Amino acid sequence: MSRPRPIGMLRAAGVLLGKDLLIEWRTRARLNALVFFALSTLLLFSFALGPDTKLLERNAGGYLWLAILFASTLSLGESFRVEYENACMDGLRLAPADARAIFLSKAVGNTLLLVLLGGLLIPVMVALYGVKVVLGVGDLLTTLVLGCMALAAPGCVYAAIANNARARDVLLPLLLFPLIVPALLAATKAMALVLQGDPMDQLGSWFGLLGGFNLIYWGLGFVLFPRVIED
Amino acid sequence: MFILTTAVLPGVILILLLTVGRKYAHLTLPVYALITLGIGHGVGLFVAPPDREMGDVQRIMYAHVPAVWSALVALVINFGCSVAYLFNPSWKTDSLAEASAEVGLLFGAVGVLLGSIWGKPTWGVYWTWDPRLTTAAIMLVAYMGYLALRRFVEDPEKRATWSSVVGIIAAVDLPIIWFSVKWWRSLHQVQSSPKTTDVAFQLPLRLSSYAFLALAALFIIHRYRIAMSERKAEVALPEALPTDAQANRTAGVM
Amino acid sequence: MSSLMLLAQVAAGEVGSGRIQGGWGYVWASYGITWGALTLYALSLWLRRPKNSPVGPKE
Repeated sequence: MSRPRPIGMLRAAGVLLGKDLLIEWRTRARLNALVFFALSTLLLFSFALGPDTKLLERNAGGYLWLAILFASTLSLGESFRVEYENACMDGLRLAPADARAIFLSKAVGNTLLLVLLGGLLIPVMVALYGVKVVLGVGDLLTTLVLGCMALAAPGCVYAAIANNARARDVLLPLLLFPLIVPALLAATKAMALVLQGDPMDQLGSWFGLLGGFNLIYWGLGFVLFPRVIED
Repeated sequence: MFILTTAVLPGVILILLLTVGRKYAHLTLPVYALITLGIGHGVGLFVAPPDREMGDVQRIMYAHVPAVWSALVALVINFGCSVAYLFNPSWKTDSLAEASAEVGLLFGAVGVLLGSIWGKPTWGVYWTWDPRLTTAAIMLVAYMGYLALRRFVEDPEKRATWSSVVGIIAAVDLPIIWFSVKWWRSLHQVQSSPKTTDVAFQLPLRLSSYAFLALAALFIIHRYRIAMSERKAEVALPEALPTDAQANRTAGVM
Repeated sequence: MSSLMLLAQVAAGEVGSGRIQGGWGYVWASYGITWGALTLYALSLWLRRPKNSPVGPKE
């Protein structure tokens, strides 16, 4: 009896991604929770910093990314928790598909969710903090996508680890936050330029830095993820 | 001649103590460390001249710089072990990874703390968010996370695999720390070299560095032994360990 | 004019050497922390040392 031919990795990733998005669409549980959590975070920042709108406007990029970061710990943890109930992860691993497809699907799925979240938060910020998107939608989207990718890739690796360890809710932020600080700094700087204008044309170099981080994190995640979920 | 005695000779001796004389390392290393540290810090504190601009405060260099260098060496060892474990799993590699991470974190914390103290009289602040200090702070928290992970995972094999993964990703920060002063404008000075440092500073700095390296090696050896004995205990009594979460249970029992 | 010269001379005397004076407190604090931390860690290694028994250490 011949072995079933393994499905191509990209195709497997696409199928898995479709499954995740379908589950998400049917329940919208994660997205709703994320949106409400991120909104409250933004509100809390404005309460904490008082009515000085100049300050809020100047640092709006930072607050946005902090809100996305905090929301990402929920999103990442949840995206792996669903697999461990009913031992779905075991089923995925036994399927004749590359384990790296799981990484790709999870990382892309989480990126999409975070980008969507960021997109929903921008109009809120325009209303709450009085910011304007000076540089236009293209640059805004690029910043969002690059930053969320840099969060999602290492986040998936660590979420898969943390989900199986004790104190999983503490472990994920503890592991993730120090690693993504450089990427988060770059994303914050880029977002500040998008929201306030870029007279000295620096945006390109921040995109380059973000691109570099993404290459490293996605590459490492791609190589290391199978070792994380293997038995 | 000067370079020979201060830079090359102590290094050769240290290498010999760690390789050829490895069996007696737990005795020779402390002696080596005490001698080199005694001379290095003694000269650094009382004999070496004060810096042209920083005055006597500059003497902190003979503790801060060796500490950070030793930390980086230890963490590079951790990176090596993390990679090696994924290719060739062995408890020795895993124990060495655990030991080098802990020792690296210790020296790194001391180094950053000393740097902060040094910053107060020279820069006017205990801390600033410039590239060198920011990446150093990231390193400290990242490896604290590494050690926390090791503590929170009870299955020894999973612990070793996952630590290796985390160790590899955490090590990405190390070259960024090293080159941060060259790539960006930082408050921290650029790397010094023998060409830019006065000869009077080189002897105490080199000897102190070798002393700290020897101490780091000694600590790693002892910490490695502790880790190995813990591994032996865990592997010998698997029934005594609670297994980790869902992954080991059969489907549906959860 | 001469008062300006006088002021200039006084000012020259008050400009320092451009070198930090003193600061030995910082130096001793640093070295103390270093030696203290290394000693404490060595102590912790000693306290955690594996007991050489065939049963194996319990920890």
